[in-house]
Amino acid sequence: MKSKIKNKIKAPLLKKVTRINLEKKIRYQSDELKSKSGQLRQGANREKLGFNREKEGADRERQGAKREKLAEEQIHIRTKAMESTFDGIFIIDAKKPDFPIIYANQSFYDLTGYSKNEVIGKNYFLLYGYNDNSRVYEEIKQTLREGKSFQGEMLNFKKNGEKFWSLLRITQVRDKNGITTHYVGNKTNTTLMKQRDLEIKEQREELLHVTRVGKLAEFVSSLAHEISQPLTAILSYAQAAQRLLKEREPQLQEILQFIINDDQRAAEVIRRLRYLLKKTKPAFESLDINVLINDTVSLIMPDVTARDKSIKLELFTNPPLIQGDRIQLQQVLLNLISNSLEAMESSKDAHELSLKTSLKDKYTILVEVKDSGCGIPEGNMKKLFTHFFTSKQDGLGMGLSISRSIVEAHGGHLEAENNHDHGATFYFTIPIDLKNNR
Amino acid sequence: MTSNNSIIYVVDDEVSICRALGLLLKSHGFRAETFTSAVDFLAFKHPKVLSCLILDIRLPNINGFALQGMMAERGIITPIIFITGHGDIPMTVKAMKAGAIDFLAKPFTDKKLFDAITIALSKSKVQNKDQSEKDKILRRIKTLSPRELEVFNFVVQGMMNKNIASKRGTSLQTIKVHRGRVMQKMQAKTVTELIHMAQKAGLTAS
Repeated sequence: MKSKIKNKIKAPLLKKVTRINLEKKIRYQSDELKSKSGQLRQGANREKLGFNREKEGADRERQGAKREKLAEEQIHIRTKAMESTFDGIFIIDAKKPDFPIIYANQSFYDLTGYSKNEVIGKNYFLLYGYNDNSRVYEEIKQTLREGKSFQGEMLNFKKNGEKFWSLLRITQVRDKNGITTHYVGNKTNTTLMKQRDLEIKEQREELLHVTRVGKLAEFVSSLAHEISQPLTAILSYAQAAQRLLKEREPQLQEILQFIINDDQRAAEVIRRLRYLLKKTKPAFESLDINVLINDTVSLIMPDVTARDKSIKLELFTNPPLIQGDRIQLQQVLLNLISNSLEAMESSKDAHELSLKTSLKDKYTILVEVKDSGCGIPEGNMKKLFTHFFTSKQDGLGMGLSISRSIVEAHGGHLEAENNHDHGATFYFTIPIDLKNNR
Repeated sequence: MTSNNSIIYVVDDEVSICRALGLLLKSHGFRAETFTSAVDFLAFKHPKVLSCLILDIRLPNINGFALQGMMAERGIITPIIFITGHGDIPMTVKAMKAGAIDFLAKPFTDKKLFDAITIALSKSKVQNKDQSEKDKILRRIKTLSPRELEVFNFVVQGMMNKNIASKRGTSLQTIKVHRGRVMQKMQAKTVTELIHMAQKAGLTAS
């Protein structure tokens, strides 16, 4: 229980980039090999066709045969490699007018759902002719006409009409004279990645929506409170005056009654508004704080990467479960993380944000969000969690006050302090769910 | 409503609410004492008259609920009517469970307020009566000698004379004498009455 995992999250892009590079390398090498073996074969033929320099010839022939055998072996290996990759690979003959596909690996058939007979000899674009993505195909043609390689992600359809996303790369194979003889296409199925991206986007949007609604509700609630105070006083003043006048001054009595009526009308408006935005009772469930943090981090990772920052996780192994509302706690984490990111925006040296979970005591989990940003000016420390207080130009001053009320609704506390070196740490506690523990 | 010899306390951090409620209460013939903080209210010397407290829940530093607890500790007994600008249900439940007379969402009409005050003052009457009775019983208990107090405690626990005697290691006769003096000093005619007194004084579980 006492050990801690340290791991850094890097952009998932990195993996993708290395893979693409690797594939490029393989393709390049196999192209190179093909042209070499072609040269070799030509050489051997020339010898067979009767340049009879006997001694040298016999030697050369033996050497040539050996080299040819070696090359064939290499071709065999590279072909195997092409056959075994998950990516769909196809080769187009560029010298024929209708650009027919002359080779495709098994993955290409698997990916597209077409059989060998339906692919070989056909034009790649005809194969996908029926979908409405013609702009993409025009772009591909244009790029290739200009002699460049094409790379792009697009929506495709399988033979049975099923949709799939793919990353297509088409590169030219040129002969010695620079004339394009073939195109090599490489199709990667990105459906899963795309789905994951979409899911993350949806989750972010849902969370943003909840946050907006939460902000509005909190805003209305504090506004309602601020207004109901003077309304209370006005009502009591007017009713006291009515009482003091008793049966005298009927005209003044009437005016006082108007004041009372309008005061109550205003109060009713506020009551209805408050009712409308009544916070739904948080949906409490058993939660693993580390899972929650990991989920939240994956939601905000695109932002982190875009800002050239990184997140360090120091998560307590197998933390006891807590009772909480997943969305609300994510909202708190997201708020603290994005505040930290903003605090680090101005300082170029600040790159790392750290998220830490630990046991404060037997009953409490402590979550810390530590940045190395600009820190909090001493004067702002006290006002940090109050409604409408903000140090941002376009801030509403609701984020931290909402976060604090969420944490408090969970039976915890949210606090902030400046670090000794630079930046600030926001930390909150959440009680352990004593009933539901492993 | 007999309003002459009763005090209505108001604790609200907003000055204008204190002033307005003060005026309203006075217009109805009440004596009103208003405070803008819990500390000021606690520092006030509370006369033993009928009273009730109109208390705002959200106060800086010491909030309404905390003040309720502190009053109990200090023996300030008066019914509480909570008022709040945040009309949330969990708080209402909490306040009512803690023994509040009512829970009024701001702004409230004078009718609602005075309905609540009427109930609060009648409760205050009962509380005051209970309190003075408790004080009377406690005063009587103070007149008991240490031995008599011991016997008193055994008797109100429902123990028989012979059991008390064997526990104390004295004769049954001695216990009977002590018991007689206890009954006399406590002005109790029966054991049942004595037990009721102990309960009223909060000495045994009722």
